Amino acid sequence: MNLTTNELLVTLLLVLPLAGFGVSALIGRRLYTRAWIVAVPVLIVTWLIAMYLVYQTLFLGTFGDGGLHFTLGTWIPAGAFHVDFNFAVDNLTAVLLIVVTTIGMLVHVYSIGYMAHDPGRWRFFAYLNFFMFSMLLLVLADNFVLLFAAWELVGLSSYLLIGFWYNRRSAALAAKKAFLVNRVGDFGFALGIAAVWTTVGTFNFTTTTAGPGVFQLLPQALQSGAIQPWQMTGIALLLFCGAVGKSAQFPLHVWLPDAMEGPTPVSALIHAATMVNAGVYFIARANPIFSQAPQAMVVVAAIGIFTAILAASIAFTQRDIKRVLAYSTLSQLGYMFAGLGVGAYAAAIFHLMTHGFFKGLLFLGSGSVIHSVHDEQDMNKMGALWRKIPITHWTMLIGSIALAGIPPLAGFFSKDEILGSAFKNGFLVVWIIGVVVAVMTGFYMFRLMGKTFYGESHVDPEVEPKIHESPWTMTLPLILLAIPALLLGIAIGWPPDSGQIHQWLEPIFAGATQTLGITEGQFNFAGIDGTLIIIGAAAAALGVVFGIWFFGLFGMREKRSQVERLTNALRPLYRASVAKWWFDDLNDLIFVRFGGFVARALWWFDVRVVDGTVNGIGALTQDTGRGIRQIQTGRVQNYALGIAAGLLLIAVTYIFVVR
Amino acid sequence: MSHSLDAYLILSGLLFSIGVFGFLARRNAIAMLMSIELMLNAVNLAAIAFGAFTPSLQAHAALIALLVMAVAAAEATVGLAIVIAIYRNRRTPLVDEYASMRD
Amino acid sequence: MTPLPVLADLALPANIPILGWAWDDLLFLILAGVMLGCALFVVLGRNIVRSGIAMMGCFAALAGIYVLAGAVIVAASEVLVYIGAISVLILFAIMLTQTKSGPSELVFHHQAWAGALAAIGFCLLLIVSVVNTQWPLAGSDRLVASTSAIAMLLFQDSLYIFALQVVAVLLTAAVIGGVFLAKREVSSDPGEPEMATLDRLRAPVEAATADQPA
Repeated sequence: MNLTTNELLVTLLLVLPLAGFGVSALIGRRLYTRAWIVAVPVLIVTWLIAMYLVYQTLFLGTFGDGGLHFTLGTWIPAGAFHVDFNFAVDNLTAVLLIVVTTIGMLVHVYSIGYMAHDPGRWRFFAYLNFFMFSMLLLVLADNFVLLFAAWELVGLSSYLLIGFWYNRRSAALAAKKAFLVNRVGDFGFALGIAAVWTTVGTFNFTTTTAGPGVFQLLPQALQSGAIQPWQMTGIALLLFCGAVGKSAQFPLHVWLPDAMEGPTPVSALIHAATMVNAGVYFIARANPIFSQAPQAMVVVAAIGIFTAILAASIAFTQRDIKRVLAYSTLSQLGYMFAGLGVGAYAAAIFHLMTHGFFKGLLFLGSGSVIHSVHDEQDMNKMGALWRKIPITHWTMLIGSIALAGIPPLAGFFSKDEILGSAFKNGFLVVWIIGVVVAVMTGFYMFRLMGKTFYGESHVDPEVEPKIHESPWTMTLPLILLAIPALLLGIAIGWPPDSGQIHQWLEPIFAGATQTLGITEGQFNFAGIDGTLIIIGAAAAALGVVFGIWFFGLFGMREKRSQVERLTNALRPLYRASVAKWWFDDLNDLIFVRFGGFVARALWWFDVRVVDGTVNGIGALTQDTGRGIRQIQTGRVQNYALGIAAGLLLIAVTYIFVVR
Repeated sequence: MSHSLDAYLILSGLLFSIGVFGFLARRNAIAMLMSIELMLNAVNLAAIAFGAFTPSLQAHAALIALLVMAVAAAEATVGLAIVIAIYRNRRTPLVDEYASMRD
Repeated sequence: MTPLPVLADLALPANIPILGWAWDDLLFLILAGVMLGCALFVVLGRNIVRSGIAMMGCFAALAGIYVLAGAVIVAASEVLVYIGAISVLILFAIMLTQTKSGPSELVFHHQAWAGALAAIGFCLLLIVSVVNTQWPLAGSDRLVASTSAIAMLLFQDSLYIFALQVVAVLLTAAVIGGVFLAKREVSSDPGEPEMATLDRLRAPVEAATADQPA
């Protein structure tokens, strides 16, 4: 087939990481310390290609509003069920590419240092490359089946990477949990895809040579009355199920905190910046469907904002530094879904982008902290590290401020856009809860900073003298990530609701915005917009101040007694938060205990009834044989009696029956 | 009565049944052989009876009876020789002790 | 209906006075009764020697019935062969196979009842089928078969010649077999105990099987 240069580059984007995986898997073991020698350069080249494509798409506008669409070949030519390898690069894809490839590349470089002592690092790099391939496939896919395949591959990569240290029981269990919970969401997702196909008969997202795509046909079907509104809502909700699973929203959020069993680069890449964003990306991509189903949007917003406050409340009491960040991720993902639900698609994607950078920064930073205190993850055993690991400290401080949403760092812009749109589109409850979560975010982030870096040192005395800054392969990505955390908001997010990011994403979401009847007024600082901004910034600052007051800053140490008093005052909430609101216990009860009971009952049935029948037939045959064998007495007279009786029977039968 | 074929045939049947009973029920091997002789004689009687009431068959019937008699003699000879031989080995003439073909 | 020529000289009344039967019938009944009675004694008797003697009586009565039926040659050979040879043979065999516990052993098996049922069944079957059949009889009864007719039949008819030869071979084989089976072998080795021929046949097999592990 003939491919243009750009199409070839897109294909290379996919092929290179896959080849990197293959080569690393095959010869990685023999490379010993240089196991990264194949994976990391592959990623750097991939990043360069991706940046070139992004430049073409976003800055030069080479592909126009519709983006680049091409087909690499036919996959399933089964009559009506026709699936091709369709790929698309439009503005939304480009934005995602920036996030995915940049953070992916930085994580690869970081892993050189982080995994330097791990004997299985060749596997790690192979899996990382495989993950990059899956994620790129997901972002570039232009039809449902290919997307679903990439969805599953990403889940598989996540399983492999969470359970990387497979001889740790907790890691293996966490990997299994992640995969299973994901599967639950994927079930709904698959049903949704099936529903789409039975409704419109095609899987392609947009128009191809084969005809119009789902995003044109489905709204048309609704307008023309071919499908009812409740069917549209149903399809949207089923597709949302997949997003709930993959992006760890309530009630399928239970896998993300446990996924922290994986190495920190994995947490940074997969569970902060890329994989968990797949759900957000998909809903944004499917905005023509969702904008036609307002009730589904309400559900999305509700689940999103509920997850946000739920996760933030749990983050208050966690002791493991990575768990706090995991719950923070859950909370911010909730924000993104809330943004999608209220119709602020571009704002949600913007938040996705900024969050990817500063959460990735925070995770990598935490990895650096853990590395420096020799694999201690409990924050209660840290403290007073800010002078000893300065680069890590300052970059993490930047990340925390960005996450809390203090202007003019990146998080403020994106979070504020979501909250502003919520308020303006009439979702008052979402706005209120969002503001509360902003306060909570500031508080728990500075609790983390205070316990980890400030105050007096609770580090294990044996470890204390050995604390040192991480190698340059680990600190360089931190510095590189701090830059977008600082500047990205101003660069593409100002003025709010009409910044550069909105101009880029406008062609994608124009139809949805129109359907929903959202009018983008000019940004007016003196009016409602300004008020909302000030309220948002004030909430964030309030949270930060509370956090610093309780937990310290620089030399100021934690106010232990005040913290104790606060804890005692809110004892029931404290207990609920520590117990993660008992969701894990609930799942255990329903699925493990009760499910186990059902499984055991069925096993009993299988052993007793089914096997019993089969074995019984065998036993019956044996016993019958044993019984009939008794006829063989070895005595001639018994046989003669048999002959006589048989003869008599035949004769009588002949005489009386036949004649 | 002696002029009806039925009487002879019924008599033959009775003798045959007695022979069957003796063959199936007795434990002693020689008794079984004696029952066999009874059965053979019953057959002879039936043949002769048919011959008596069918003139064209009379000589045939007599001949058949003679031949059967000869065969019966041969069979009795060999059977008794076998019984004696087994008796020498097992020390008993009772057939329900000759059960080595069972297992 | 003519009485037998033999009885004509006795000037007996034509029928039995009270019952009104013919003399033939009475004779037939007596002979039949004796025969069946002796046969029952053969199969039911506890003492096997007495069973043997009863069998001889049975054959004698049977010979009488043959005479009544007009087969005189057969009656004669019945007496000669059965009573004179086979019964004697059987009695010799009884003598040779007697055990000390013979008189006290059970006469019948467990399956005797089943055997009785089978026998009764046979009996009923035969009687019913005989009575219900119309035999195509031609001619009168009880002509005496002449010896010359039998002889002619034996040597003229190709079928019976063949049967005769076969029976002759059979008899020869039976004689040889009987002698062989019952013979005691006197071994040349004085120390070896005497074995019956059948035992001697079995000995190599036992020697071969004794080599294998049990």
